[in-house]
This record gives sequence, structure tokens and C-alpha cells, in this order.
Amino acid sequence: MPYKILIVEDDPVIRQQLQLLLSGSGYETGAVTDFGAALSQLKAFAPHLILLDIGLPGASGFELCSQIRAFSQVPIVFVTSSNTDLDELNSILLGGDAFITKPYHPAILLAKIASLLRRAYPAAGEDALCWKEAVLHPESGRLEYQGQTVELTRNEQKILYYLFRHAGTICSRADLVDFLWDNQLYIDDNALSVHISRIREKLASIGLTDFIQTKHRQGYLI
Amino acid sequence: MKYWKDRLPAVLLNLLGLTALSLFLLASSSAAGTVLLIAAIWLGVLAAWLAVGCLLERRRMDSLLSQAEQLEERYLLPEVLPPPMTAEESVYRRLMQMAEKSMLEKIAAVQRENKAYREYIEQWIHEIKTPITAAKLLCENNRSGQSREMLAQLESITHYTEQALYYARSEHTEKDSLIREIQLEDVVHQAIAENKYLLRQQQVEILVEEMPDVVYTDDKSLCFILNQLIGNAVKYRSSSPRLRFAAQTEPGQVHLLVEDNGLGIPAADLPRVFEKGFTGQNGRAVHSSTGIGLYLCKQLCEKLDIGLEIHSREGTGTTVRLTFTVNDYITGVQG
Repeated sequence: MPYKILIVEDDPVIRQQLQLLLSGSGYETGAVTDFGAALSQLKAFAPHLILLDIGLPGASGFELCSQIRAFSQVPIVFVTSSNTDLDELNSILLGGDAFITKPYHPAILLAKIASLLRRAYPAAGEDALCWKEAVLHPESGRLEYQGQTVELTRNEQKILYYLFRHAGTICSRADLVDFLWDNQLYIDDNALSVHISRIREKLASIGLTDFIQTKHRQGYLI
Repeated sequence: MKYWKDRLPAVLLNLLGLTALSLFLLASSSAAGTVLLIAAIWLGVLAAWLAVGCLLERRRMDSLLSQAEQLEERYLLPEVLPPPMTAEESVYRRLMQMAEKSMLEKIAAVQRENKAYREYIEQWIHEIKTPITAAKLLCENNRSGQSREMLAQLESITHYTEQALYYARSEHTEKDSLIREIQLEDVVHQAIAENKYLLRQQQVEILVEEMPDVVYTDDKSLCFILNQLIGNAVKYRSSSPRLRFAAQTEPGQVHLLVEDNGLGIPAADLPRVFEKGFTGQNGRAVHSSTGIGLYLCKQLCEKLDIGLEIHSREGTGTTVRLTFTVNDYITGVQG
């Protein structure tokens, strides 16, 4: 079941694009459109996490936050363009879980959301990813194929993780590098090729050949 | 000298009177001895009057001048001076008070204007952040080669916006910062993430060494400083740019090194890089230097008690060293 995220944001473009971004990352999204009835919309949607702007028409995000805290411990991320320390302090005092200032990088926002969700809902750890009989265990950093396993380095694991998550579709090299940068692996296009060929060697050692295909001028496909 | 010049008419008048009196007395057949005696007494009194007057006046003027020296805001002088002694002085005092009043009004008006302007700038920066955010989200949701270029541009825009905000705020220091425990590594990664597209567009090689250190500071300000440093490293890059982040721990201190292999700063410019508005040789060559970035970094560092040093060799690169004090009693209290 995907996590549900409620967006409380008065700028229509940001609201719409945030919904796009979040649903693209596998979340179910809802947005408050009638700020007078924000609380009832919130209760009806029952989100796992709330993105809350401070400057709203009607009641401010701070007021909304303290009202929410009266009945729920759902994680609240303040997303705002005001970055005074006073606002940040207020957000902490009122029970906000994170404070992100505009203009934020979408990747940073997504990382923050993921880490808050992990902390608030400590479900069973990352599931093993499975594709064409190959099984990736992100927990232990191993890849299993027909009873044989191979150890992966942290970087190789990240690359494979992205490919497994997008199994069956072509992943462009730029998108892959984007993902790696978001995960604090700062490599360029050439280094990516080196990593990929090392992964191929490792996979071949357990009999998994031609697992990663290169699509000319498009990217990689598993 | 001026004093004696001022007294010249009085002295001349006296001498004229004395001569006239002597001539008159001599004409009315007084003894020459009597006339000489009268002249001597007259001259003696005149000299005594002049001497005492000069002494008293000098003392009074000296005390006035020293009072003025001691006063910090000299435009308030008319308020602290002793009351005037002569009619002439009271007129001058009134003139000074009039000057003071119009001056104070002018200052107040300028201050009001300044404050309104600064508030408008801050407000404007808050407003501009919404469309920037929307643009970033739009690019992120429609990824392509162009949108990546666009995102790199948006990162530059964000740099300048932040710079303006910190500049507007640097003038009034009453805004306190939120000091907390932060992982040095997290801030570095955050700063890199905020410059992701800029760094990738310029194909900057990034190296982040292990940093287990924890520091106590304001993470937003630190991130701003790192953003400015990264911005500089990109702006003054060499042909195959590289940027390295590393930490060094010493007893009581943690250093964060930001090292690039860019153009470097000429030795002659080095002592002045933290000056407001200083652009130097590199700045003039690049044409988009404001001379504000490093000045703001220095200001923030002083406010947050972070040591900021810059080492550079022309053609080799620049290393910026941020030094954090690890306060024993903070860790002590937290146990």
C-alpha cells in the first residue's frame, strides 16, 4: 500500500507539480483546495505525512499545525519560503518534524519525506527486489541468482537498485547519474560506464550474462 | 593670533583715546610727568584686561573643544554645550540648534526609507522563491537535456537570491541564529545536492572524504557559506575542475576544508578578498563578480564564531578552511 501524502499549499502550480512529483515517486497524494475546511479534508484523507506551507490564506500553517497536533501525531513537514530562524523555531515548538525552505531541490524534499516515513512507520525493512530470477537484497548488499550470491559494493548496489526499481524500462544514463548524485555518489558519465562494466563482470561470475543491456543513445535496460 | 586680531579695533581705539587725552592735557599745560603717569596707568590696565581676557577665553574654548571631541555623535553638540554667555553666542547657539534639528529630521527620513527598502527586498525575496520552486518542480517533472540546463540556471538564480537575502539581513544583526548539533557530512552533502545541476553541467569532479565530526552551529548559514564557496569554485574553475571536501580534527577544533583546483587568487588580491565589493583580478576577468559572496561569508563566520581562512596559489587552486570550536562544556552537559 503506498503512503498517502497531503499537500497543503496555496500556489496552484506548485501544488500540481508536487502532486506529479510525489505520485511519480510512488506516493498517493491529496491536496487541500478549500483552506477553510482544511481540517475536515485532512481527516477524510487520513495521510501518512503532511506537507504544510506556512503562508496560507486564512489560518496560517502554524495554526493548522497546532490544530492537527491536537488529534494526530502524523509527521508534518513545513515547506515555506520564509526562512527566518523564528519561523523555524516556531515550527519545532508546534510539533513540526522538518522544516524545508523554498526554493528546495525536489530530490532533497523526497529524501526528507522518505526518511521521515521510515522513522514514523518502521515497517519491515526494504524488501528484496526480484527480476528475471535475480534477487537483489538491499539490506545485505548481495545479489542472488540460481543459488549463487555475489557481494556488491555500496556504489554497485545503488546502481543496481535503481535498475531493479525501473526493471523492464530503459533508464537513461542522465537519470541514473541524477539518482546516484541524490544518493551522495558523485560520479560522471565515464565513471558510470566503469561501474557498469564491473557490475557486468560480477554478474557473469555467477552465470548471469547479458543481464544489463545497453540501449544505444538511450541508456540501460534490465 | 586670531584672538588678537579680533581685539585690534579695541586696542587701536584705546591708543587713539590715550593720544587724544595726552595731546589735550599737554595743550592745557599739564606737566609732562603727570601725562606720562596717566598714560602708563591706562596702558597697564589695558594690558591686564587683555591678558586676563585672553587666558579665560582660551580656557573656555579649550574645554568646549574637548567636550566636542569626547562626544560620539557630534551633531548633538548644541544639546550638551554650556549655556551661552553673550548675546552673540545665544544667536549662534540658536543657529546650531536649527542645523541640528534639520539634520536629525533628514537622518530619520533616510533611516525610514532604508528600513522600508530593506523590508521590501526581504519581502520580494520571499515572493520570488515561490516561482523559483515552481520552476524547479516543473523541470524535475519534465526531465530532458534542456530542463537540466534550466535547473543549473535556477541554481545560479537561487545563489544570487540567497546572497541578496543575507545581504539585506547582514546590516541588522539582531536576528539570532539557531545553533544546534549537526553532522558536518550532512551539511556538505546538502550543499552539493543544492548545486547538483550546476556541478554536473560544468563536469566538476567531487570528492567527499569521511567526516565523522559533529559541530555546533547554524546549519542554514553554514549551508549558505558552502553554497557561496561552491559557486566560486564553479565560477573560477580550471579546465578539469575538481572539488574536494575534507575534515581535520584537532583537540578542541574541527576544520572543514573546501579545496578546488581552479584559477587561484593572485597573492596581491588575497588579503582583500573578504572586503565588501572587492572583485580583484579574477572578478574583473569573469565580469559577473559582485564582491559580496566572500564578504557575507566572513560576516556570518564572525557572527557564528567560525574561523575562516583562505589559502590560494595562482594557477593551482584555492583552499578555504572553516574552523569550528568544539566546546567542551556543550558536550559535557549533554554527557
